[in-house]
Amino acid sequence: MGMATPEMRIVTPAPADQDSSRAPRMVRSRAAQRLLSAERADEIFPVLLEEIVALGFPRAAALTVDFETGEIRAAAALNCSSGFLQSLETSLWASENPLVSTLHGLRPAVLTNFAGHQALYCHPLLYRNQNLCWEAERDRRHDCLAVANYRYPRKLQLQEQMCPACDMRAYAGMVVVGMKPKTADRQLKDVEALVELGNRYLARLFKVEHYYNRMRDMDITISQMQTVMQSMADPVILTDTHHRVITQNKAAERFFRLPEEVSEGGMRAVELNNMLFSAALSSMAVSGTDTSRDLTLVDVSEGEEVLFEAVCAPTYSREGIRTGMVTVMRDVTDLRRADQEVRANLDKLMQAEEVVRQDRDRLNLVIENVGDPIVVADSSAKVVLYDPLAKDLFGVGDAPRDPIQFKNYAKLDAYLTRFTFSFDDKGTEPLRLFNLTTKSEVEYDARSGKIYDTRGQVSYTVTVLRDFSTWKKLEQLKVERRMLEIEKFAATGRLAGTIAHEVNNPMEAIKNSIYLLEGQVKPKAQPIYSVLKSETERVARIVRQMLGLYRNNDQIGTMDVNNVIEDTMALFARQLERSSIRSRVDLGKLPPIVGSADQFRQVLSNLVVNAKDSMSSGGQLVIRTRHVPAPDGVHGWVRIVVADTGTGIQRELLLTMFEPFVSTKGEKGTGLGLWIVKGIVENHGGKLRVRSREGKGTIFKLELPVVR
Amino acid sequence: MKKRKHSVLVVDDEASVLFTYRILLEQHGYAATAVLSSREAVAAINTTSFDLLLCDLSLEEGHTGFEVLEYARKKNPDIPCVLLTGYATSDAAQKAEQLGIGVLYKPIEIQQFLETITTVLRDTYEQTEDSKRAHRSQAS
Repeated sequence: MGMATPEMRIVTPAPADQDSSRAPRMVRSRAAQRLLSAERADEIFPVLLEEIVALGFPRAAALTVDFETGEIRAAAALNCSSGFLQSLETSLWASENPLVSTLHGLRPAVLTNFAGHQALYCHPLLYRNQNLCWEAERDRRHDCLAVANYRYPRKLQLQEQMCPACDMRAYAGMVVVGMKPKTADRQLKDVEALVELGNRYLARLFKVEHYYNRMRDMDITISQMQTVMQSMADPVILTDTHHRVITQNKAAERFFRLPEEVSEGGMRAVELNNMLFSAALSSMAVSGTDTSRDLTLVDVSEGEEVLFEAVCAPTYSREGIRTGMVTVMRDVTDLRRADQEVRANLDKLMQAEEVVRQDRDRLNLVIENVGDPIVVADSSAKVVLYDPLAKDLFGVGDAPRDPIQFKNYAKLDAYLTRFTFSFDDKGTEPLRLFNLTTKSEVEYDARSGKIYDTRGQVSYTVTVLRDFSTWKKLEQLKVERRMLEIEKFAATGRLAGTIAHEVNNPMEAIKNSIYLLEGQVKPKAQPIYSVLKSETERVARIVRQMLGLYRNNDQIGTMDVNNVIEDTMALFARQLERSSIRSRVDLGKLPPIVGSADQFRQVLSNLVVNAKDSMSSGGQLVIRTRHVPAPDGVHGWVRIVVADTGTGIQRELLLTMFEPFVSTKGEKGTGLGLWIVKGIVENHGGKLRVRSREGKGTIFKLELPVVR
Repeated sequence: MKKRKHSVLVVDDEASVLFTYRILLEQHGYAATAVLSSREAVAAINTTSFDLLLCDLSLEEGHTGFEVLEYARKKNPDIPCVLLTGYATSDAAQKAEQLGIGVLYKPIEIQQFLETITTVLRDTYEQTEDSKRAHRSQAS
């Protein structure tokens, strides 16, 4: 405690108490002994009054001032009647009362003829002392009230009777002594000295009691503060300047104090916690600006990691010297976890948004490049998206609509409403709209589809508008080009036919003649004869092939493709076998085809012969037929695949192989086979495709339309 | 039964072709009469009874083989005929089929030419023999 300061010890006892020195020694010493033995302030008055009476005075009373009300009452009395005491009672504000004025004057006085009493000796009492109070002493100040009252006697002012150093409220009172008719001056001197001595002791006890009360108050305050601190769920720690723990609450003890029975792990955890904590404090003290820091500590009893936010505030002494820090730690584990979750969710959300954005961009890219106007509408048939072409057609946004756009929009709106509220998933309808630049009506084919949400409700409809006129033009162009090709083919064919026909008769004669010469040629001329014969046969084959196309324009009827294949394969069975070619015929169920069975037989023969020729050292020939129904269910195709495992077709031949007189077979081939195949297939409205890999084989794929 | 030579009338406006057909037929044991025009053919049919008629489709001056064949059929409804042609319109092909007339397209494989003749003759006359036989057995 700060009491035992050197200043206190060298204080000398009252040096200039002349009044008391004049008091009779015996009385003084006995009275002093008695007064000194009083341990409490309220024991002083009775002792004092007894000693006064003992001096030979008939009666005495002690009055005290109530600082709250200003009332003056008797606190103790000896040999006083109640009437006498009542006559003494007054108030500090009753200034005309001689008692009161005496009190205010703070000097002893003898009142004669007061309220009809015999003379009264009145001695005012005030808290006064020649020593500074401990507070003033400690703080090296000199405005202690006790000393001020002692040194500067003055009028009693209640508002001044509060010590600025220790906040002690002074007391004020008066000892009233009844005098005998004859009282010696010595007697008065004695009583004065006695009262002064009593007041000194009173002041001392008063001071002790004041400090005791203050201590009690502080104890209460401390315990209240302790309660507050302990009841805090957050750890609170007070540390000194070396970051040593001065005090901490229970919440903090869970982390920084070793429990009774502790495991080695727990011990380590406490050590680690302390280390982390002082490290955090040090770094905060060093930085000077940070007042909070995140800190992960281990709960010693539960072993869980807890994330804290430590908030620090420095503590200062009265003198403004830094004494340490108080740290309050907030458990932010849940907070941070929540924060992390929010962050993670945000990340996910952003990723999802990114995916959606990419999808949207891709979709937009698609929409913008379709080349047909596209309109997306919501579930109430309200348009939410136009592609640039649709924007031109219907007018969008704030720009004033052209009357034509308005008309177009009205038609679109009607259509969208019809479609959106229909029960159909898909819709298609011709829509006649006006072209903005040519002002002419254009026929569009509106095709719409519905997009459903997860609950199966329509969320959007997408409508693509195909410019029917352009499409029709395109189709027309395609048809014309095909016609031209067919025409070209036919013209070439006719020319070839004419030539062949003209050549035909002479050749017939030559061929027959050669046959007739058989066996009549001299052996020497035999090789020449052979050339003659084989070359003539070759010419015959060419002519036969060419004429084959135009002859046999036999009845175009319905034919069973499978039957034709079976017939043809039967015809070639022996040849294929001889070339060690395995053949596999896989015939699907087919509808009848409109066409010429003879021509188709020729197609097939040519393909089979080609396949056979490409597999000189054996292989496999596969013929497969399938019905490919069309989506509309009415038409469709018959697909015939002829595949071999032969030598394949050279890449550079793929482009020219269907032209006449292109052959890989030298003298054996006419170069007309595939040309004829193509011609016949196209005359049937069919398609012919070929895929080939050198050394692997060739696949011909024929598709003939099914017409009903 | 003693095998007699079948008599064949062959008509073609190309003399060289006609010549080779005649030689071919003779070499293979047929009695061949070769004429260059429909007119000559009609004359020949009037004078001779043929077993088989081989006739080119397109003849002199726009005449066709059908005329010759029809004339011959008037004389002998059962006479087998084969059209020889380099080019037949679908009408002609259809007509030939209706009349039960075979068609050989030039250039004609000689084997096929000979086989067709043999087959047609055999079918016609063996069938005729059969039907005669059947007739006789019915009568008795």
